[in-house]
Amino acid sequence: MIRMNEQTPYTLHTLANGLRVVIERMPGVRSAAAGFLVQTGARDEVPELAGVSHFLEHMMFKGTAKRTWGDINIDFDRMGSTYNAFTSEDRTVYYGWVRKADIGKQIELLADMMQSSLPPDEFTTEKNVILEEIAMSKDHLEHVMFDFLQERVFAGHPLAWPVLGYERTLAAMTRDQMWAYFQRRYAPDNMMLIVAGNVKPDEIIQLAETHCGSWKPAGPIPPRIAPPVHRGTDVLQTDRFKQQVVALTFPSIASTDPRIETASAAASILGGENSRFYWNIVQKGLAPRAGAQHLDYTDCGVTILYAACQPDRCEEVLAAIRTEAGRMCDERVSEHEVERVKNKRRTSLAVEAEAPYYRLTQLMDDMEDYGAPRTIEESLADVDAVSANTIRDYLKACPINILGHLTSVGPRNWPKRN
Amino acid sequence: MGEIVHEHLSSGLEYGVTPLPDRHVVSFQLRILAGMAGEPPQTLGLARLVEETLDKGTVSYTAQGLADAFDAIGAGRQSGTGRETMTFTCTVLPEHFERAVELHAELLQRPMFPDNAVAINVQLAKQELVALDDDAHGLVDKLITRQAYGPVAGRHQLGEHETLERITRTDLENFWRTHFCAGRIIAAVAGGIEPRRVADALTRQFDGFGNSRREGREALTIEFNPRTTHHDKSLEQEHIAICWPGVDATHDEFPVQQVTLGILSGGMSGRLFTEVREKRGLVYWVSAWQETPRGSGMVFLGASTTPERCAKTYTTLLHEVDRLAEDITQDELDRAVTGIVANQETRGDATRSRCMELASDLFFFGRPVPIEEKVAKVQAVTIEDIRRYLTLHPRDRLCVITLGPRPLVSPGAPAVKVTGGVVR
Repeated sequence: MIRMNEQTPYTLHTLANGLRVVIERMPGVRSAAAGFLVQTGARDEVPELAGVSHFLEHMMFKGTAKRTWGDINIDFDRMGSTYNAFTSEDRTVYYGWVRKADIGKQIELLADMMQSSLPPDEFTTEKNVILEEIAMSKDHLEHVMFDFLQERVFAGHPLAWPVLGYERTLAAMTRDQMWAYFQRRYAPDNMMLIVAGNVKPDEIIQLAETHCGSWKPAGPIPPRIAPPVHRGTDVLQTDRFKQQVVALTFPSIASTDPRIETASAAASILGGENSRFYWNIVQKGLAPRAGAQHLDYTDCGVTILYAACQPDRCEEVLAAIRTEAGRMCDERVSEHEVERVKNKRRTSLAVEAEAPYYRLTQLMDDMEDYGAPRTIEESLADVDAVSANTIRDYLKACPINILGHLTSVGPRNWPKRN
Repeated sequence: MGEIVHEHLSSGLEYGVTPLPDRHVVSFQLRILAGMAGEPPQTLGLARLVEETLDKGTVSYTAQGLADAFDAIGAGRQSGTGRETMTFTCTVLPEHFERAVELHAELLQRPMFPDNAVAINVQLAKQELVALDDDAHGLVDKLITRQAYGPVAGRHQLGEHETLERITRTDLENFWRTHFCAGRIIAAVAGGIEPRRVADALTRQFDGFGNSRREGREALTIEFNPRTTHHDKSLEQEHIAICWPGVDATHDEFPVQQVTLGILSGGMSGRLFTEVREKRGLVYWVSAWQETPRGSGMVFLGASTTPERCAKTYTTLLHEVDRLAEDITQDELDRAVTGIVANQETRGDATRSRCMELASDLFFFGRPVPIEEKVAKVQAVTIEDIRRYLTLHPRDRLCVITLGPRPLVSPGAPAVKVTGGVVR
């Protein structure tokens, strides 16, 4: 079943085994990007296998029936591909960006990797690499802060544990456990092949049939359950860092919510460039960094307001954050502020439309959030619809002038724990 | 693509344009030939403070008014301070190009350096110095740069606490008066715009802006200081940086250096990734790269690992460099060359990349360099070229930094241990 829309550059096709293929034609460019999106991530793990999705992503580069790990790396580099993979809470992505003539080879290689043999003799060596990655993460203040925030805000839910997992779960993990997870989650009916660039859709579909058509579907996977968003205060005192990071977290909307562009605009007005935080916190000398972020998944979202500051200034920084958050809710934002944010978004959409890799990542978001690709024009229409009124209504539904959850990480035991 | 334009205006400003008529954005970079190397020694950190304060109030705009004016045209902009230059980079829709240039001209030519903004930015720079201490990679970069390049070329953009304390509004204004003029500006533009519009806008905005003499183009002197230094810090990992002199961006051997680094670290089949991570599982991050201040070059290796694996990681890194001269294969060479060439093509689809490419050409070569010319030089590199390069530029004098809980213990690398307060 091929669906081509003459009005858009997209082609959607689903193989008999359930693998969805999404193609965006970009006739003016010289390159093309391809990626497999696997709908699995840290939130799909059981507690004793925390970190398996990410560890598995590493192991997918380690060999197949056709290729050793060395062959995989060499074949990527023979094309001059810009390639990598990443794992998040809700997806795992493998991609390569190549000259347009190499897109067939790129898809073949990625497809072969998706049939990994997870070579047992590579398991321990790669586990050491992951342990190094965890160690590196612990030396990074914002990683420590974010992991701690997720752990406490989403306590009791799989979103609470770090994507990298823990040393103890990694140490106990076996290759058989990983294999079972792999077989269940890396099935064509839980995956998409997404391609953007100067390509011919019928050729891409043929490539998908050839390289992925024999994969066996695994049937429906259990639905995800939205997490609770906890309130309260949590402090992680550590002498490793000299700064203190304070963050307030509030429940918000999911990435699939039609108000998502409004939520993003509100966060930009409050904590983006040329924002209220910039002028009233950073440029007042209170903290060198302060921002607002909308963190969203397909079934939930939160707004995070944060700043990194000298430990002895936590009180005034937190007070300033709360003051600005209160103003956002209590006073209508100006149309002028809204228009500024929208103008920047328009430029970023024009930039995004230029290069296949940028489009690939956006198509992945679109497929997860809307189940279909969206044109730049559709995204622009969403941007145009944002107004001071939509922001007011959104903040009424998802207020940020309530207590929320306070996270504090740094050398100071603040607010004081008993 | 239209023909690349390169001209000098009567004001002294040098500019180039890569016309890409099918693009829907324009990217440009204004490079001021003044950076950290031009700071008086007693006021280190001054150049970045100038960069940070230029847009905090001008003759015609308040700080927020100027930021609002940029946002009104949806400008995506960044600025930065390096050892030799300051850069102001901007991407806009083509219809806003002239306005974006006008606003940049305003902040470059008519800054007011309000006392309050200067005081705030000094205060923020001091806080950022503290923040740097929480960033292991940033800290290692600062330490190796200072040791490898010496006291002038090795400066850090944030300066030092005591030098920041001394900086006044007058210092900022003097630095700006001395270094900001049309003769010290190189503009690079790429995207959906006709070169005539670029010339008109730059002429209109920068005509008569100070000195028109072409200054600030001399090579920077570096003082390489080969030694091994350990900096104690309570961290999970030991962070390693190694460097030695290479060749500069205009040197005949530069394409050979590029390919050599490609073989070492160009992709996951590169030797460092293969030997240090894939085979031995010693690290998550390992890399080789180069820096090329005008007139000199430096080759770097970097890795982060847990302390008990530090010595093994260090010796493996250097062993892979030493082994290069002995057993490079044609396939490795071909992959490295393909990586560099393909990268030009894929990233070239992004207008901003094309602008950066042109900006780099104008700075290093004083002319746009056709992509075909660069590609041909890279494709001409042979195994013999690499062996010759490695003989002429051996890694026999090393600058090594380790940052972490344990000094490096390795034959041939006796460490000078530095504890406490080393980052200030």
